[in-house]
Amino acid sequence: MKCTGTIDVRDVDESSINIDPIQVGGRLTPDAMKALIAYGDGYSVCDQCRKPFRLDYIRTPPIAQFHRDLASFVNMEIARVVPGARRGFQAVADAFISPGDPVLITALSHYTEVLAIEGRGGVIREIPKTGSNIITSEQAAQKIEEVTREFHRSPTLLFLDHFDYQYGNRHDVAGIIRVAHQYDIPVLYNGAYSVGIMPVDGKKIGADFVVGSGHKSMAAPAPSGMLATTSEWAGRVFRTTGVTTDVTKRTFGIKEIGMMGCTLMGVTLMGMMASFPHVRERVTHWEEELANGRKVVDALMSIEGTLIKSEYPRNHTLTRVDTTGSFDRVAQVHKKRGFFFSSALKGKGIAGIIPGATKVWKFNTYGMTGSQAEYLAAVFRDIARENGLAVTD
Amino acid sequence: MSKRAIDAVFEGLFLLTDIRVMLRETAPQHALDESQREKVRSLLDALEKELAVLREELA
Repeated sequence: MKCTGTIDVRDVDESSINIDPIQVGGRLTPDAMKALIAYGDGYSVCDQCRKPFRLDYIRTPPIAQFHRDLASFVNMEIARVVPGARRGFQAVADAFISPGDPVLITALSHYTEVLAIEGRGGVIREIPKTGSNIITSEQAAQKIEEVTREFHRSPTLLFLDHFDYQYGNRHDVAGIIRVAHQYDIPVLYNGAYSVGIMPVDGKKIGADFVVGSGHKSMAAPAPSGMLATTSEWAGRVFRTTGVTTDVTKRTFGIKEIGMMGCTLMGVTLMGMMASFPHVRERVTHWEEELANGRKVVDALMSIEGTLIKSEYPRNHTLTRVDTTGSFDRVAQVHKKRGFFFSSALKGKGIAGIIPGATKVWKFNTYGMTGSQAEYLAAVFRDIARENGLAVTD
Repeated sequence: MSKRAIDAVFEGLFLLTDIRVMLRETAPQHALDESQREKVRSLLDALEKELAVLREELA
């Protein structure tokens, strides 16, 4: 079926259980879908934009209130919406990093943090991970000491992911931030895999900046996200224009330089806002999400030769699994080779695994119902049995 | 056609959205239980009312 012309209808989530590791937390709520119908036109939120002509001042629809609600949601003081978490990283990098500055990330940081630093000419140094793929405060302290010796000054900034994209492992963000603050290093908490799916308290964690992703974890269209901070840093990261142009003598009111003026001027913001009441409520059900994830992880672990590469027991619904010793063994002799697995999953209504992947792959159970989790668990076991792998009950 | 028709179009689209969500929640087998069936029936009834409004507006 076509939407129009050469564009197919996308019905992945209507026809399948989607376990794509990056997609599930960004699926829209019914209210966001309805907002999309009504606000799809370009600058659709600007009908009632009045002086001082800035997105976060618009009262109809209630965008100003939404900004206050967002800050409160992560227990920070000031928040802005941004076109994706990456633009939040970039805004902070632009405000803090000068060429040659040492900047810390971790061995499990997302690539967009690297790009934000590289764009400013910062020098990247990584906090190593442990053998279990965890970032600890001890390693952070050690790396800060090393970098300080190397550059004769402490790092300018630390980017820290609460849950990493590779393993979905939980890292000791509060402990690491405590260490960083001992060296006066401000910390950006990357909540792309936490803000919107589990409770996040920026003050309790001690973060200077909290970044969230609308399209990854807040049931919003892409690109959307949020950047929240304290009143201490707001003036720097949300600094306003002060320029007067030379010929026309124009000035630009209170537009924020780091935000490039207004950010989400239409359907992305309205989707995010429409989902927000549900998002605020759903974070209280994180334990149920973990329980659903456990059903699936346990099923995979019951298949001979399968290894869970993420920390166990799981603290997140995104999990990395190694099936080199199970499904990949089948692939070696199957007529469809590596495609047998994704093909078998598709045949049973499961989507989101890269076609051909049979060695190391990731999945995410977030947002599925209990019965969908049970179905998925049974599907993995069934595919194993159908292909001669031993399964423990 | 009037403002009433505009409202009926949006309301109809929203009702269809609720049915779409039901498809998502029950994927991939779409084996609806009785309460889900009842909910879809009620959405369809409401949708028919909106369609009736549109037909009236067209007349």
